[in-house]
Amino acid sequence: MAALFNRTNFNRISRIPPAYFVFAVLLIVLWIARPHMLNINIMGIFIRQVVPLGILVLGQMLVIRVNSIDLSGAGVLLLINFYISSSMFPGASLPFFVAISLATGLAVGLFNGYMVGKRRVSAVIVTLAVNIVLVGIVQFLASGKPPGDVPSIFSDIYNTKLWLIPTPVLFWVALALIMSLFLSRFVYGRYVSSVGANPVAALFSGVPVERTVIVAHTIAGLMTALASLVQTASIAVGSVRVGHELPILAVAATILGGVVFGRGEGGVWGPFFGVLSFALLFVVMTTFGIGEPGKLITQGLIILLAAIFYGLRTAKSRT
Amino acid sequence: MNRTMKRLLTGKDSRQGRWFFALLIALAIIVWLGLTTERFLTSENLFNLVAQAMPLIITAIGMMLVVLVGGLDLSVGSVISFTTAILALGAPALISIPGVFALAACIGLINGLAVTRLNVHPIIATLSMQFIVLGITRILRPVSGGDVPQIVIDAVAGSFYGIPLPVFWGIVTVLIAWKIIHGSRFGLHLFAIGGGIASGTDEATHNFGVADKQKILLAYVGCSCFAALAGIFLAGRIVSGDPNVGLLFEMDAITAVAIGGTQLSGGVGSLHGTVIGALVMALLANGMNSANISAFVQTAIKGVILLLVVGLQSRKKMGL
Repeated sequence: MAALFNRTNFNRISRIPPAYFVFAVLLIVLWIARPHMLNINIMGIFIRQVVPLGILVLGQMLVIRVNSIDLSGAGVLLLINFYISSSMFPGASLPFFVAISLATGLAVGLFNGYMVGKRRVSAVIVTLAVNIVLVGIVQFLASGKPPGDVPSIFSDIYNTKLWLIPTPVLFWVALALIMSLFLSRFVYGRYVSSVGANPVAALFSGVPVERTVIVAHTIAGLMTALASLVQTASIAVGSVRVGHELPILAVAATILGGVVFGRGEGGVWGPFFGVLSFALLFVVMTTFGIGEPGKLITQGLIILLAAIFYGLRTAKSRT
Repeated sequence: MNRTMKRLLTGKDSRQGRWFFALLIALAIIVWLGLTTERFLTSENLFNLVAQAMPLIITAIGMMLVVLVGGLDLSVGSVISFTTAILALGAPALISIPGVFALAACIGLINGLAVTRLNVHPIIATLSMQFIVLGITRILRPVSGGDVPQIVIDAVAGSFYGIPLPVFWGIVTVLIAWKIIHGSRFGLHLFAIGGGIASGTDEATHNFGVADKQKILLAYVGCSCFAALAGIFLAGRIVSGDPNVGLLFEMDAITAVAIGGTQLSGGVGSLHGTVIGALVMALLANGMNSANISAFVQTAIKGVILLLVVGLQSRKKMGL
């Protein structure tokens, strides 16, 4: 063991997010076992399913990098789903729904950011409480029953394709690109790295620590709103139960993508491939006939192993 | 007097945290319920309340051990479901009950090892453990059913001189927990380690000769064992194994711990606070049920209370 960690090769390899390895392994397994699955139509459908998760991860990655967490996604998702599927806004148009969803996401994100950044309340507690409140409100408004149908324009857009690739997937890739450019070209990306690595040092170097955290949470809120719109379009009906596991899965995919709590490092593409790995994992599991429990166990093992891999590296670099 | 009241209310510089606030909330709810609903202050309802609150009290106490050292355990809900599933396998109680604790201790051990030795963040380590244990539980018992040993059912449903047995469960658990948290060197060390972590000097207790990693590891083992105890109690109450009985229990446990004044950054908290926090949750559920408030509004009110209690106290550290 010890000899392995001393090698510079290991250090070099360990910088690559585990998601890439997992993705490659799963791709090889699928290629050997079920080569016919690897065509663009089938993969497009499977990847389309994880787009809401993928968009959520773009926000989650940002808050985890500044050593925070956002667990309020499920509540926002339910609320936006309720706006669209109930008769709360009769006859409203698509731009109106998008606007009100984004406004909701912005408001929730700002509130989370204010509580975590300014008031210094534990991020787990705040976002969890916001989630509980939103879920409770939606279930009360809907009195526990599925509210109704989603206007058909949502699923129409959701089902379109551009050059054989489903539009939601393109939307996700575009968002990831924007986020990647935003973090690499603007000074805010540096702020995120420095606050994540060491908030005290960042504060003394003149980095607006509180504002960075608030902005991170606000962006996460907006991403959650976008993810909710896509998710609502994909299920095409109102629901009061959808997506309660999404925030936790988003945390998992982010970890798999090489972003670690309290360390500023990590990029957009690691978590991106983390989500793709989850998509592939579900495909592989389904083709091999492994049920829900097997998926849970494999998911847990992959996250744990990825985290241990990272933990060992940090232990090494500290000494 | 004035200064004491101020200290109790703000919880400032107190190692026990802001438990007094939770007590006031609990008393307010009791007064409100006692005045508005006639059924509330009957002994039947109160005993029922204790039985309802007991799994949460037990789990929250376990959770507090971990929170004191600046961690979190998201796997307790799965451990509870797992325990009921194991008990419902039909093995004799003499084997299954010690077996359940041994298995829970193993889960806690893995959590603790991952956190202390392998440098994994507590949320990640216990989150993946939650997935794994839930998966195993669903393999063991895809839907609820099975036979729970009779002795477990009797130990929960019976009564002793007219006092239902859940009351004794509560007394015994609190006594054990008091010994662990406030009456032993281990408990003192937990506060010390957590205080160090909360103020950013992780190594402080280590430098004073405390085996900090070992203590943190034991806290995770203890947390899982308390969860298993709650699982045994729940198995006796629902008289079957259920893969979903513990779902989201970790969230309720964290809520109870936080309402009770324990700080999530570690080092500050108290046993009575946690018990009161869990009672507040149970009182809210009980009271709002008898006041015919919809279960969904109850969820929202729980969230608002959590936000109020935690939002009013500010701390030095930002983040998780």
